[in-house]
This record gives sequence, structure tokens and C-alpha cells, in this order.
Amino acid sequence: MSAPASPTTASRLLADLTAVVGAENVLHHRDEMLVYECDGYVIEKQAPDVVVFPTSTEHVVAIVQVCNRHDVPFVPRGAGTSLAGGTLPVGGGVMICLTRMNRVLEINTRDRYAIVEPGAVNVWLTRALAGTGVHYAPDPSSQTACTIGGNVATNAGGPHTLKYGVTVNHVRGVEIVLPDASVVQIGGVAEDDPGYDLTGLVVGSEGTFGIVTKVIVGLTRDPEGGRTLLAVFDGVASATEAVSGIIAAGIVPAALEMLDNIMVRAVEDAFHFGFPVEAGAVLIIEVDGVEAAMDREAQAISEVVQAHGGKVDKAIAWRTRKEPEYMAIWKSRKSAFGAIGRVSPTFCTQDGVVPRTALPHILRFMEGVSERLGVRIANVFHAGDGNIHPIIMFDERDPDQVQRALAASHEILDECIRLGGSVTGEHGIGVEKMAMMPKLFTPEDLAAMAAVRDAFNPDGRCSPSKLLPTGGACIERASPGRRASA
Amino acid sequence: MNPLHGNDWPDAPGAGPLGDGRFATEAVHPRTVDEVREAVTRQAEAGRAVYPQGGRTALDYGRPPGRPGAAVDVSGLNRVIDYPHADMTITVQAGMTVAALRSVLAEHRQRFLIDVPQADRATIGGVYATNASGPRRFGLGPPRDQIIGVSFVTSDGNEVKGGGRVVKNVAGYDFPKLLTGSMGTLGVVTQLTLKVRPLPEASALVWTRVPNPDRIDPLLAALDASSTRPVAIELLNPAASWIMADAAGGWSLVVGLEGADESVAWQVDRLGRELEGFEYQVHRDAEAEPLWSALIEFQAGETGALACVANLRPSRVASFVRSLDPERWAVQAHAGNGVVRMRGLGDWTEDRAAAAIDAHRATAVRDGGNLIVARCPTPWKDRLRVWGEPRADWALARKVKRALDPRGLMNPGRFVDDL
Repeated sequence: MSAPASPTTASRLLADLTAVVGAENVLHHRDEMLVYECDGYVIEKQAPDVVVFPTSTEHVVAIVQVCNRHDVPFVPRGAGTSLAGGTLPVGGGVMICLTRMNRVLEINTRDRYAIVEPGAVNVWLTRALAGTGVHYAPDPSSQTACTIGGNVATNAGGPHTLKYGVTVNHVRGVEIVLPDASVVQIGGVAEDDPGYDLTGLVVGSEGTFGIVTKVIVGLTRDPEGGRTLLAVFDGVASATEAVSGIIAAGIVPAALEMLDNIMVRAVEDAFHFGFPVEAGAVLIIEVDGVEAAMDREAQAISEVVQAHGGKVDKAIAWRTRKEPEYMAIWKSRKSAFGAIGRVSPTFCTQDGVVPRTALPHILRFMEGVSERLGVRIANVFHAGDGNIHPIIMFDERDPDQVQRALAASHEILDECIRLGGSVTGEHGIGVEKMAMMPKLFTPEDLAAMAAVRDAFNPDGRCSPSKLLPTGGACIERASPGRRASA
Repeated sequence: MNPLHGNDWPDAPGAGPLGDGRFATEAVHPRTVDEVREAVTRQAEAGRAVYPQGGRTALDYGRPPGRPGAAVDVSGLNRVIDYPHADMTITVQAGMTVAALRSVLAEHRQRFLIDVPQADRATIGGVYATNASGPRRFGLGPPRDQIIGVSFVTSDGNEVKGGGRVVKNVAGYDFPKLLTGSMGTLGVVTQLTLKVRPLPEASALVWTRVPNPDRIDPLLAALDASSTRPVAIELLNPAASWIMADAAGGWSLVVGLEGADESVAWQVDRLGRELEGFEYQVHRDAEAEPLWSALIEFQAGETGALACVANLRPSRVASFVRSLDPERWAVQAHAGNGVVRMRGLGDWTEDRAAAAIDAHRATAVRDGGNLIVARCPTPWKDRLRVWGEPRADWALARKVKRALDPRGLMNPGRFVDDL
């Protein structure tokens, strides 16, 4: 496999793609490629040879046929919010940008599904469903930008996965254009179709199985009521112990998020929600269900918070999620990564997972790493899931700081593995974490995964050098990534 | 079919049943994963098939075994590997029974979220191989929503794992989902990691009689918009009502509610108002247990040789269930999920079964789903097409099967499209 070798072959490829989608749906000038040379993971850059914007499944089929004829790799891209280089066009080739296939095709509230095109932005579906009594549960922090197709590729999470699950729990089927350009309908609108759960397999496959061109998502009843509490603690240790205390009390919150002092200050500076800037750490704790049960559940949480030396600073009672204070607290939380720019010009965020009872340990561990390596680390994360997002701050002009930031990242992820966790809870492996796969999985596990990938993608032309390590891919990264949201 | 071994089915039950009247060439009872690997390797070297078995509650499910082979009984792999209860996860070996798992979880007032019939015998591995479920899947989710890690021995004798032990993890392909409902055709499942949840404080079943079947669909639509948040919405035709509740017959709509005391009390009251004009009874907590049990065990009932499961869009459930002759079928629908369990009543011939199933299957397919035959006499299985109308993704499923079991040794013949 190779990228177009000569101007002649490159121009033939361009001509063939233009014939498929029209000149208005093709980009190929060098300066137009800059946006597409990386996603939210900015460390490795590689421009594609061509970017095409299909507007139909038929377009995608024809594009894949052209790529196969020219023997060039192709990679799907949505909004480019991947934090792991999931859309990096390794080896160049054709980038299939799905942002013009962005319609919500059908909403069926009675049967609790919607059919959307992959380029539909997550929050568009939320808005389309407003007032219907149902919603699409996965709400990644980047939901105002990220696409449903990208959510499917990474099996995206978000703050409300603790109770409602991640993307895979809300996808019933997909239409996919396989790397051989055939179109397959996987799953469907009804549950429990006989056969393998290929839908479950495709979700989270990071574009290595083909190009998803339609997604059938399941819809969830809106809760009847809820409480969102802001609990304040002296430090991260007591806050994380309270997390375990809440779960141990038999409460399953809808969301359970933690911000440490650095993040509380940054977020308060940016959004003026009213976070107590002196707090060592805060928890945003949300419970939902029928309104009649909410007061006692909120009370039970308050007791756990107090037992761990904290106090509930705000309690927002809500019914519709449209209450101004409710919207404000979540806007603050979901925009936290944007606010960190006020503290440090350059940072990288990690996406480790530990058993939630190990949160106090991993937080202590990170403090140790921070002191030992002399890097500042801030924390804002999905505490209820044990999904940490340490933000490691550094000055990219100082090579020594860069190396120390990288070392801190690796040490933290290694500790997550040692604690029985994972190196990614929701961002994906992409190109960033391929070298860590052998630390999580045996050669036999990886061989089985490669065999399954080859069943879908035998020539490896679709999203090459992603997710699974190959000999040449295990290179050490020169510098950590630096922008993020989660 | 392997030409060398195509005709040497044992004719004596010495090594035990494989299902559909066929017997194993031998039975192995591993106690460790290494023993599973050895057993699989030995069978593979001899070119013989491997039939994973647990509690043997579903031996006749699916198509008949395709070629001679050994029964690999994993019921000896029945340990809890790790139960960090405050993490609300548990890692168990596949041969543990559902009842044993429940009692382990109950020590910490937690529960397994899948309703499984014959829980004393059914194993967790079997639940996942067959994608078993029951009434509360509406509120608690199907098996795929609870599994976060899996280990399985493939036909080359290696143990392969996917997922992990933490609730959120997107590293690698989602083998836990792939193995769910794969009918043992990809490997011998040895270990699973599951999400668990606290036991609810209170529960109630609201059993409503629906004298006029024309009212069923409006009632289901109203429940869909109800202020309550049921965990189960069960529709029973007159025959099923009679079997489960010994009631005078008639249509029943059974709503399950669970949660905190206040939540259940409020919902019972609210539902009562929403059901104004209907005759209903409320069964609470321990008093509701026998009815929950009836709703869960219905699918494993002894009556009749014929049983089917249709899946379709929930909005089509009422008309689908009404189209089934109540003299011929006892029907329980997990109405909120569009899953309809049909138990044939009385005597059937192959011709009558084929005609009825073809017609109802066509309806289910038109309504967005399919219809499988969960139980029927072995000789009827080809004609009744037990796995239903072929689906667009089965060719792809076959490629995945070949990737993980290139020689077709794992549970051959039993699943869709000869997987």
C-alpha cells in the first residue's frame, strides 16, 4: 500500500474522486490540508492527500472503490475532536470527512430509536429530542462539536455514563461501508436480532472496520426529576473517599464528577458559576429518578459527604434540565478543559481508568509524580467511573519539561494498569496509545483482535496503523499532546 | 462437515447428551482454565468439535450439533475471581450458577441484573452464550449492558480476553459484546466481569386486567409516556395469564416497579390513577416474588414442544400478540422491548407449525425484527428455520467466526447460517 507516487497518479485519484462527489466536495490544495493534518491529538501530524466530503452512502461506496482501485489508504473523520489521533491519516491517502452527512433521518419516540447520519453533531440530536420526553444518553463534554459517527468510533462516554452507560449501550445498529465497498446493515431498530452482536463489535473499533454511514441509536426516557449537588472538600483525598462512600451506601448517581482546586479556580475564573475557589476539591453529584424519591437520596448523599469532612454547598432541584442553575453547572464542568488555558499555555490530558475504590490511591500517586518530576497536574474527571483525566501542564518551549510531562503521563498510566484498570476509558487508543496495548493484552489477545480486524479489513487500507500495535508503530512519542476536552 | 468424522456419532448416551438427541464422543470436566485449554487442544488435534456446556438448561436450543465432538463441561469453573463490591463489579468463572452468584452478591445487598429461568442450574457462561433475559430487561438492560470483560478459550487452545475489570474501558475491540449471544461458537467462555447494582429497597407488580384487547395498544402507549418509570412492562395473552396467575384468563398487563420505598409508593399510586377504569391488583415486595418468578420462568415452562421468540418494534407488539391464536399460543411479551415469547399449546404437526411460524415470522420481519424457534422437535428444525429469516449481517458474522475459529470446531452447526 502506498500513497500516490507521482503527480500523474495523484491527479488521476483526484479526478476520480471529483467525479464521484463533485469539485465542491473535494479539498486538495496544500493550505487546505492544514486543518486535517491532526485532530485533538496534535503531536503527530500527517496531511492527507485529498479530503472528500461525501453526502450519501453511495458517495462513500464510490470513494472506497476509487481508493481500492488506486491502492491508497483511507480514513474516516468527523469533527476531529479525537484526543488520541484516531483520525490521523497515517501514510496519507484519502480522508473521508463525514460532516456533510449530518442529517437526523428519523426519530421514533414510541419505539425509542433515532436514525442519524454519522456527521450529525451529538448535541443536535439532544436538541431535536427536546420536549419529546426521551433523550440520547451519551453526552461527552465535547458534545457541541463531536459527531455521532465519531462517538460510535470511540465508544464515547461523558459525565452521565455512571448510571446510563457509554455509547455502545445506546447503539442498536449501523449501516457500514466495508473496506471492500460493500454496504452492510448491522443490527436494526428492534432489539435481539439473531446472530452475533456485530453492532457491539463495531462500536469502539475506531474506524478500522469500515465507514459507518448511518447509526440507529436507542433513546432513553427523561428522568422524572433530579438533584445536582455541589459538595466541597478540603482536598482530593477526602473527596475521592466520599465517592467510594456514596457507592458503598447503595446509591447509583447519574453523574459523579470531581474537580480539584486548580480546576475549580480555572473554571470559576472563566464561568463565574459560584464555585468556592478555596475548596481543595469539589464533587458534582447528580441523582435522578422519580421526584418523590429525590429528597431522601439527596439527604443520604449529604450525610456521606459530611461523614468525609465535606459539605454540600449547593443543591439544585430540577425537573427538565433546562433550569438555569442546572445548565450553568454543567456548562462549567463540560467546558473545564477550555478553562485550563488560563492556568497553563500547554498541557496534555490523560484518560486512565482505575477501579473506583482505587481513586484515593491514584490521586496520591499523581501527587507523588507531580512532586518528584516537578510538573503541575490538575484534575477534573469522571470520579464515579474511576475515569481520571489528569491534566499535565508544561511549557512546550522547554524540552526538559516536555520530557518530564511525558514521563508523568507514562507513570500514571502504568499505575492505572497495575491497579487493574485501563489506559483509556473513553478517548480511544488511536495512534497515541498503541504502544500500551501490549501492557494490557497478551500476544494471544492482540492476535485475536488482529484476526477480527482482518475479517472486516483484510487489506488494511481502512484506517491503517491504528488501535492495534504493529512492529513499526511502537515508537516513543517525542512530546505529549496538549489540547483536550472530556 | 468433516468427512473423516461425519458419521461417527456415538449411538449410546455414555458421555452424555449434546442436545437434539445427539451424544458426546466424550465428556471432559475441567476444573481450571489450563484444563479447558488442554481439552480444547486435544479435541482440535483430533479434528473433533467442542461443545461447551454449563447447566445444560438450553441443550436443545438452536440447530442440531453439526459433527461429533466432546462436551466440555465448565460447571467446575465456578469460583468468584474478584468481587470489589464498592466498585459494583464482579469477576466470576463461567460455570458459576446464577443462584450462586446471587447469594454472593446478596451479602453486600447487590444483585445480578438479568432475570434467568432455572437459576439453580443455569450458569453465567450459559446466560451470556444464549443472551438470556427476562421482564426486567426493560428497566435494567439486556445482558450486553452488564458485561465489561470476558475470557474465552479459542479453538487453538489459547485463552483470549477482551475488555477488563473497570466499568469504563475502550482499549481494544469489544469482545465482551461479541461473545454475548454467540452460542459458544467462538470459544469456551471461562470468565466474565459484570456490572452489578444495589438491591432495590422496594418492588411492586401491578397486575392489570384488560377486558377489551382493543385497549392494549393505547395502554402501552400511555405507559410509554407515564410519569412512572417501570422496570418491566409485560403483556400476557389469556393463555399466559392463566398459566402464570391461574386467573380466570383474559388479557393482562403487568407493570414492575422498583426502587426506593418512596419511589415505589409514589409510582404505585400514580399508576393507579393512570389506570383509572381498569381492574388491577398491587403485589408488593415478598408478596410479589411468586409472580416475578412466574414471569421469569414462563420461557422455560414444560408445556408443549414448540416455543418461539419474536423481536419487533415495541409499537407493533400489541397487534402482533393479538394476531396469535390464544387457543394455540400462550404469549408473554416484554412489551417495552418488543420481545415476544410464544409457547405452543396442544398438539402440533410439522406442517401446522411451519405454516403458523412462516406467517408470524413474516409479520415480525415486516415490523422490524425476526422470529426464532426456541424449542421444537429436532426433525422439524430445518423446515422451521429455527434462527429465522437470514439477516444482512450474517455473511459478516461468518467472516468473524472464521477469524476466531478457522476450522469450525466450536459448537458447530448450532447457530445461524451454520456458524
